[in-house]
Amino acid sequence: MERRLTWLALIIGIWGAAILANLISLQVVHHRAYAAKARAIQEVVVQIPAPRGTIFDRNGQPLAMSISTQSVHVNPQKVPDIGVASELLALVLHLDRAELESKMRAAYESGRGYLRVKRNISAEESESLRKMALDWIGIATESQRHYPKGELAAHVIGAVDFEEKGNAGIEKALENELRGIPGRARMLTDVKRRGIESQQAQEPRAGTPITLTIDERLQFVAEREIAAAVAAHHAASGSVVVMNPYTGDVLALASYPTYDPNVPPQPGDDPSARLNHAVSVPFEPGSVFKVITLSAALETTSLNPESPINCNGGKITLYGRTIHDSHAGMGVVPMKTVLARSSNVGAIQVGLRVGQTNMNDYVRRFGFGRRTAIPLPGESPGKVRKLQYWGKTSLPSVSMGQEVSVTTLQLAQAACVIANGGSLVKPRLVLKKGNQPEPAAPPVRVLKPDNAITMRQMMEGVVLVGTGSRARLAGYSSGGKTGSAQIFDFATRHYTHTYNGSYMGFAPLTNPAVVVVVSLNGTHGEAGFGGQAAAPVFKVVAGEALRIFDVPKDLPETENARTLVTRNEDLDDLAISDLGAGGPNILEDGDEEDAAPGAASAAAAAAASDAASVGTMVIKGAPGPTVPNFRGKTMRDVLAEAAAKGLVVLPEGSGVARVQYPAPGTPLHEGDRIRVQFAR
Amino acid sequence: MATMPAFTRKHEAPAASVPAPEPVTRAARPRAARDPFRLRPLPHDDIFFYCKRIDNSRLVREADPQARGACWSAIGAACLLLVLLTSAFAPTAMTTLAGYKLEALHAEERRLLEERRNLDLQEAELLSPARLDQLAHQNNLVTPSSNQVIHLDKPEGEVAMVK
Repeated sequence: MERRLTWLALIIGIWGAAILANLISLQVVHHRAYAAKARAIQEVVVQIPAPRGTIFDRNGQPLAMSISTQSVHVNPQKVPDIGVASELLALVLHLDRAELESKMRAAYESGRGYLRVKRNISAEESESLRKMALDWIGIATESQRHYPKGELAAHVIGAVDFEEKGNAGIEKALENELRGIPGRARMLTDVKRRGIESQQAQEPRAGTPITLTIDERLQFVAEREIAAAVAAHHAASGSVVVMNPYTGDVLALASYPTYDPNVPPQPGDDPSARLNHAVSVPFEPGSVFKVITLSAALETTSLNPESPINCNGGKITLYGRTIHDSHAGMGVVPMKTVLARSSNVGAIQVGLRVGQTNMNDYVRRFGFGRRTAIPLPGESPGKVRKLQYWGKTSLPSVSMGQEVSVTTLQLAQAACVIANGGSLVKPRLVLKKGNQPEPAAPPVRVLKPDNAITMRQMMEGVVLVGTGSRARLAGYSSGGKTGSAQIFDFATRHYTHTYNGSYMGFAPLTNPAVVVVVSLNGTHGEAGFGGQAAAPVFKVVAGEALRIFDVPKDLPETENARTLVTRNEDLDDLAISDLGAGGPNILEDGDEEDAAPGAASAAAAAAASDAASVGTMVIKGAPGPTVPNFRGKTMRDVLAEAAAKGLVVLPEGSGVARVQYPAPGTPLHEGDRIRVQFAR
Repeated sequence: MATMPAFTRKHEAPAASVPAPEPVTRAARPRAARDPFRLRPLPHDDIFFYCKRIDNSRLVREADPQARGACWSAIGAACLLLVLLTSAFAPTAMTTLAGYKLEALHAEERRLLEERRNLDLQEAELLSPARLDQLAHQNNLVTPSSNQVIHLDKPEGEVAMVK
């Protein structure tokens, strides 16, 4: 018995030893090999998606975002029956069976092992295909970029290609920040390919969300108005730029024609639709540039708004070339009238006083001739000739906005100098990257504060008594300048009858909250001038901007009895008069176009009475109290005097009263308020 | 040695037609006629066995005081072994189950995040200025002028808002 037990124990022991030896062999000796095999079977490497960064407007509204989608692809070489397969896929994916079958057959015959059938399939379609569990059908997860606002800010945001790589706008400029880097993870799976455990091998880096300075509400209004203006005036294109003059934030940047970034470019599409006219297309600014000329004059000469300028009856001949005003009859007028009435001759006279060197210097100080460094690809620096290439007629030309080419954005940047008190601020398009605010570039002093304020007042004259009456805002004071530059035809080497109508303005006057520049390219006739075509766009866009940002009004809503002397709506500021077909270069000879009779007589009457200030008003009714002169008085004295007389004064700044509006001696009416600028 | 055939033959009832043989004495023992086909008797063929009935009903196995302890020890050892094995392998099993759940939750999280992004996209599309403008026109609504807008103080706990 014991022997049997012994034998039994021995047999079991040998059996156990064999098992143990096998275990040791499997788990110790050949551990690595088998572990590697197991890993190869069980482990799968999965990609952790990193979505592309979302682009927001300044209020957090998404303008561009990526979402995951699924696409279906097949291996044509593994398809058992292409006819049946195409019918099955067409049924599930709601495709055209014949077209799909032809594609699959073509792919099969060309030996391709991959054919994408449909992108962006629904969850139901995906589930139906998964349940089929066919090895020749594959479902891949992709990322697709969406622009939920459609065409809104298309030129600012840009677009991406089929690989979700930016090819225009901010998408391209900030590609490195926006692009996410997918991660990888090793996942242990069971026999049914369900994940048991995962370990991150490479951490994903999601794209950085970008917050722009754009306000989508204002952007929409700007785009709507410029589209309507281009259509109404049969222009070729147009652009609007709205900026905050103190921070440089670009609140709206509209370019027309536009496009929908959700729709990829198709053959036969108009390429100009994808061109950002506000940034990439320079043009001769025309009379708008007189603001620069006069600013340079205030800085470098002894000229002031009251300085008499001889407009020589609207005609001047220099170096054998004759230059005309768009309306004749202006003699010696104050400099502020030169701006208000947009006299070419007056601007040239001022420019001659400034001189070539100073003019070139201040043109560049205002930012012209170089890029603004806004993060948009394809920005044009415009063109300002170097001083050594200036000809004899360059100074007169530049003085009235010819021989230079600028972009709408550069004009807005220049307008900000005057609006914010004399500092050049760089246009800023990116407010935040992720949670980090983008630092603004430090402003650079261009004009003295006094001169900037003086320019503001002169530009208000353009609105009140000049060519910009159609830009007048209800309840807000504003200043601006119109421009109507004829477009030069390089083929015929002559100026044409098509214009670049533009308007550059800001509001309110004392503490501007917004700068708006409107440019319409390729307008025709008098209706295409800046005061006619672009000024109304400014009125709507600026009015909307002031409403959106809740800027308090500084004027009563209703029109008071201070009507204007001249019929300003018929004035124009054409930099170069109409030449007729095939006319020569305006700098060699000029032509006259008669303005409307009413305007002409009114202009003549106004010119005859130009000894008075530009603020000459027709007073209806009995003469009342007039605005006292506060200049040179301290704020305490000004307020005391105003209180004693029952006047409403809006003080600004500190120190001694330097500038006031309305000017001293102006008749006062009920509800009028007097703005006084103090400085030390 | 008694053999099974002899043993069985002893219990067979004698045949009635076969008369009982007469006692054979030495003197007048005649030699019986021998059946040529009958085997010679084997040694000790005449030894008869009989079944002795032994009554073991009163025999009772003596209780082993150590068996109970051994049995319980075995049970205890088995339970302990089970507990040890469970303690050793249960975390692994729970880890695996937790891994399943965790991966499922990760997948659910990804799905929900994606769904949220889709909803954000839909919300952005619904709040598009162009769409709102179109709806305003359809309902004969116009943009109010600035003097028509009155800003109320925000009450605490407001839920609905437009960004």
